Amino acid sequence: MSSRLPTWLRYALQGLAYAAFAVVIGYFSTSPQYRLRADNDAVLKLSFSHSAQLQHACRERSVEELAKISPHMRNKLDCPRERAVVRIELDMDGKPLFQISTPPGGLHKDGAATVYRRLPIPAGAHQFQARLADGPDGAINFSKEIRVDLAPGQILIVDFLTGSGGFVFTQS
Amino acid sequence: MAALSQSLRVVDETLTSAFDRVFAPAHNPWRHLGALAFLCLVAAVASGIVAYALYDTSVSGAYESGLRLQNDSLLLGRLLRGLHRYSADAFMFLSLLHLAREAARGHFRGVRWFSWLTGIPLLCMLWISGVTGLWLLWDARAIFSVTATAEWLQALPLGSDLLARNFLTAEALNDRFFSLIIFIHIGMSLLLLAGVWVHVQRVSQPRMWPPRALMTGCLVALALLALMWPVTSLGPADAGRVPAQISLDWFYLFVHPLVDAFGAPMVWLLAAALTLVLGALPMLRVPRKAARAVAQVDLANCNGCSRCVADCPFGAVAMVARTDQSHHPSQASVNSDLCASCGICVGSCPSSTPFRHIVDIVSGIEMPDEPIATLRRTLQQKLGALTGREKVVLLSCRQAADLQSLADASTAVMALECAGMLPPSFLEYATRLGAVGAVIAGCREGDCEYRLGDQWVRERILGAREPRLRAAAPRDRIAVVWSGRDIAQVHDTILILRNHLSTAAGPAGNAALKEQQHE
Repeated sequence: MSSRLPTWLRYALQGLAYAAFAVVIGYFSTSPQYRLRADNDAVLKLSFSHSAQLQHACRERSVEELAKISPHMRNKLDCPRERAVVRIELDMDGKPLFQISTPPGGLHKDGAATVYRRLPIPAGAHQFQARLADGPDGAINFSKEIRVDLAPGQILIVDFLTGSGGFVFTQS
Repeated sequence: MAALSQSLRVVDETLTSAFDRVFAPAHNPWRHLGALAFLCLVAAVASGIVAYALYDTSVSGAYESGLRLQNDSLLLGRLLRGLHRYSADAFMFLSLLHLAREAARGHFRGVRWFSWLTGIPLLCMLWISGVTGLWLLWDARAIFSVTATAEWLQALPLGSDLLARNFLTAEALNDRFFSLIIFIHIGMSLLLLAGVWVHVQRVSQPRMWPPRALMTGCLVALALLALMWPVTSLGPADAGRVPAQISLDWFYLFVHPLVDAFGAPMVWLLAAALTLVLGALPMLRVPRKAARAVAQVDLANCNGCSRCVADCPFGAVAMVARTDQSHHPSQASVNSDLCASCGICVGSCPSSTPFRHIVDIVSGIEMPDEPIATLRRTLQQKLGALTGREKVVLLSCRQAADLQSLADASTAVMALECAGMLPPSFLEYATRLGAVGAVIAGCREGDCEYRLGDQWVRERILGAREPRLRAAAPRDRIAVVWSGRDIAQVHDTILILRNHLSTAAGPAGNAALKEQQHE
C-alpha cells in the first residue's frame, strides 16, 4: 500500500502543481517567438482580381442555327462567355521573380481571374517590371516598371486595377 | 494497437496515482480534466462579457481597448484581460488533456461514442472562438494571424481566393470587420456552451464542476498569473510591415507555423485526417469476449422502485407505464443503445438480495451474462471450496485488475463486471457463509470505468444510499480498496483485514473504509 505523504509536503506539492500549470499556460501563451522572415527580408504581395477579355469574339448565327433555337431566344449574335487566361510576369532587377497563368473563375469560365502570392524578397532598392496579358492571343497588353527602396519588413503590394490604368505598386 | 492502448493506460495510471498522492483522490485534477476545462470556459465567458462592455468595435478603437485594460492603474483591467486570455488558453490545454486521457482509457467506444463524437466539433469551435478572440486586439499578432488564416482558407476550393486582400492595406478594412469577428467570437463561445450540454447528454449525473478546492486552486492560479504575468498587446496592427519575429499564443496559433512548414493544403489534409481518425475511433471493434448482453428487466420481480434509474451512470434505464397486470404503477425499461452492461442497476435492485428463500433467485433487473442466482451460487461454491482458516472473499472489479492470482486456500476471488454491481447484502451474506471478512476491490476512487460504481458502493455500505448495508451487518469485517491495477495494494488490504480480525478484541474497524470517510 502506498505510504501517505506528510501533509506539509502534500500542500507544497499541490502548490507546485498549480504553479506548473500556471507556468505552462503563461509561457505558451506568448512563447517561444516565431520567426516570420529573415532579418534583412522585405515582403512582396502580388494580389489582384481581374476579368480578362472574352476568349472568343461574337459571331453571327446562320439561318439554320437560328431555326434550331426557340423563337424567343433567337439572338443573331452568339457571344461565348468564356474569358481568356490571365498571364502575369513579374521581374525583379531584370530577373524573373514570379509568373503565373490564371484561368478565369466560375463554372462557365466567365469570372475574374484571381491571384494572391506572398513572396519574401531582400530589402533594399529594386527595379520591378510587371507585365500582364489578358487577351485570347496571349500578347502582353499591360506593363509597368518601377524602382522602389524597401526597408526590412516593409511590404510592397502589387495590384492590378483596370480603372487605374493597370499595375499599382503600393508601399506604406 | 493493443500495445499502444496498454502503454497509454499505464501512463494514465501512473499519472493518476502520482496526483492521488499529492491531492486527495476526490480532488485529483487529473481526474477532473473535463470539469476543469468547463470551469475555464465559464471563466472565459464571464470575463469576456465584462471585457465586451469595455471593447470598442472599430478599427481605430479596438487596439486602444486592449491598451486601456492593460494599463488600468487599479490592475482590474489587467486581471480581467489576463483571466479572459489565460482561462481561454487553459480551456484549450485542459480540453486536449481531457481528450488524451479519455482516448487512453478507451472511452470512445461502446455507449460513450456519443460523448466522444460530440466532443470533436467542440475542439473546432474552441479553436475558432480562441483565434477570433486574438484578432479582436488588432495588434501586430492579430494582423499576422488574420492574414495567415485568410491565406490558409484560400487553399480551399471555396471561391475564397481573395480573402487575404481584405487585410492588404489599412484602408481595406472597416469597422464592420470587428462587428463580424466579435459576432463569430461570441457566437462560437455560446455554441460551445450549448455543445458541452449536448456532449454530456448521454451521461447521468455528469461532473460539470470540479470539487470546490480544485476550482478555487485553478481560478487563483489563473488570477495570479494574470496579475504577475500580464497579457499585453504587441504593437498596433500595421498592414505595411511584417515583424521579423512575433510572439504567438501557441494554444491557438500553432496552425500558422504548421502552414508555413508544410503548406496550406497539407495542413488541411492533416486536419481532415485527424478529424476522420478521431471520428472513426468509436467504430473500432470491441473484442467479442468483452461484448456483453445488456440489462434485462424481469417484471415479476420489478416493483417499480426506480432505484436502477437513479443509479444507472448512462441514463439507460427509465421508468415507464406498467405492461403487466401488477398493481405497481410503473416498471423499469432498459434502452439497449445506452446500456453499458456494467450491472450497476443489478446492485441497486432491492430484489437482488441473496437472502431470499428461493433456489434460483431472480432480480428485478438482471445481467443475462451474470444473473444474480449465478453470483449467489458462485459465492457459495467458492467459499465452500476454501480449506484454510480465516476465510476471506475478495469481490473484485474486472475493469480494475485480474486478481485471481490472490486466490488461495483461505481467499476466494470472485470477479464482477463492476464493483457497483454487487448488492451490499452479498457482503453480509458472505460472512453468514463463514467468511471472516469480505474485501471489495475496484478502480481507483473517482475513476470507475462505469463512472459511478465506486460512489454507489461507498454510499451503500455507509448506509447513505439504497440498497443500504444493514445497520446490524458486521462492517468491521468489510474492507473496500480502490486500488486500480495495484494488486499489491489489494494484497496488503487483505492482510491488514486478517490481522485486525485475528488480533483485535473488539470490533477491528475497517481500515480502508475509515480512510475514505476521513477523506
